[in-house]
Amino acid sequence: MRAAFAGKGGSGKSTIVGTVARLWARDGDGRTVVLDSDVMPGLAGALGIPPSDAPIPDEVVEASDVEGQPPFRLRTGLSAEQAVAQYAIEGPDDVLLVQLGKLRTDGVWTLRGSQHAFRQIARELPRDGWHVLGDLPGGTRQPFFGWGRFADVMVVVVEPTVKSFMTARRIGRLATEPDAPRVVAVANKVTSDADRRLVADETGLEVIAAIPADPAVRDADRRGLALVDHAPTGPATGAIGSLAVTLREMVS
Amino acid sequence: MKIAVVGKGGSGKTTTSGVLARELARRGREVVALDCDTNANLGLSLGMGVETAEHLVSVREQLDAGEADHATSIPELLDRFGREGPDGLHFAVVARIEHSDPGCPCCGMSPHELLEALDDPGRTVIADLEAGIGTLTRVGPGAIDVLVVVVEPTEKSIDVAQRALELADERGIHEVLVVANRLELDDDLANLRTRFEDRDVVGVPDDAAIARADRAGESPMDTDPDSPAVTALRGLADRLGQLQPVA
Repeated sequence: MRAAFAGKGGSGKSTIVGTVARLWARDGDGRTVVLDSDVMPGLAGALGIPPSDAPIPDEVVEASDVEGQPPFRLRTGLSAEQAVAQYAIEGPDDVLLVQLGKLRTDGVWTLRGSQHAFRQIARELPRDGWHVLGDLPGGTRQPFFGWGRFADVMVVVVEPTVKSFMTARRIGRLATEPDAPRVVAVANKVTSDADRRLVADETGLEVIAAIPADPAVRDADRRGLALVDHAPTGPATGAIGSLAVTLREMVS
Repeated sequence: MKIAVVGKGGSGKTTTSGVLARELARRGREVVALDCDTNANLGLSLGMGVETAEHLVSVREQLDAGEADHATSIPELLDRFGREGPDGLHFAVVARIEHSDPGCPCCGMSPHELLEALDDPGRTVIADLEAGIGTLTRVGPGAIDVLVVVVEPTEKSIDVAQRALELADERGIHEVLVVANRLELDDDLANLRTRFEDRDVVGVPDDAAIARADRAGESPMDTDPDSPAVTALRGLADRLGQLQPVA
């Protein structure tokens, strides 16, 4: 299964991706690798991994001068699988995290090599034995410009607010482009069944899960903890657990 | 004066920009509110309604798709991609587009270049920047007079704010205000003040009024102007007023 998550900043993408990843990893059926393409901090904490800025090191890539190909590629002899085995950060439940690297004062250009390695891993990781989850940066910029295309399904996380609906509609419009993945929604921070229907009506997307507003999520965020460790039996964790199952069933 | 607002996505950047722009306009300033975020939402927080907000974004998208004429000057840019908003302010969507013409005043300039070029001391510019710190990594001298960094009491939000403050120092932005947003627990403000010691930290309480306005797609200035969070955000205008009196 390969799923990428998008949505407005603050809608809850990282919490959901982190929790789904931990639950998939626990299943033990294949390895679960999470791709974090946000240059702002985010996913590590939600997985229960201490945050770090480190990108995939430049030694993973080599320059390439093939016409029409990216300027860097994984170095000769290093497959996407081997790159993950060597350079992913391993977290609880043996979940794996590959991050694009985090931006500080030294600017984006330091991530140049890492960026191409990252994309190649997303593209070339074999389906057999691997589950891939992507956490895309908030907003509408990245989902369909390269990062999100590895996914079978793009999950838009939507809160019941007008701004969140506007963002989801924009992502939905971009998804009409050729070779875009199937796009569905998850209604997050809902307080009633009406909220779930509202998300469906306002976005025009199929809503595959509704996750209740739950103070435990904010609590976990405050402490920088994974939701699944902080509140393993809470209502939000439970609903994300159902989503984890639904996503797996969507491909099998 | 040019004020830029940054923070993690969802921290309350846009709400802060919207309330601040409205309040400064009410106090008689000539305000230009700029949506520099590619996921543009500021129109809603200014209280311009979902239809107008979506319309202005679609005008920008048409330009990106090559279906609209380019503006040939900055005033025309502000006019073509904007409109008059409440309290007499002017609002424009100036986010980066994918298919830009280098050197074109309406799309070839990134938000940081536009901020540099906007140089009318009688005017107050409020720029709602892209979530994160991307724009700040590119900003040059004179582009931003005051940086407002919005932070929630969560580890991730604090981390993003710290990165923004490092950049503000590196880029020589001298006036920096930290807005500690969505304070819930008794010691939230004290904790954030410890994390941001040496900085000017203004607290804004967690407030259902903001959540209600967000749900409805309205400006909390219109729906709950005297609620605790809106009052605190309006109070930011006092701080900024101390920095530079209205001309």
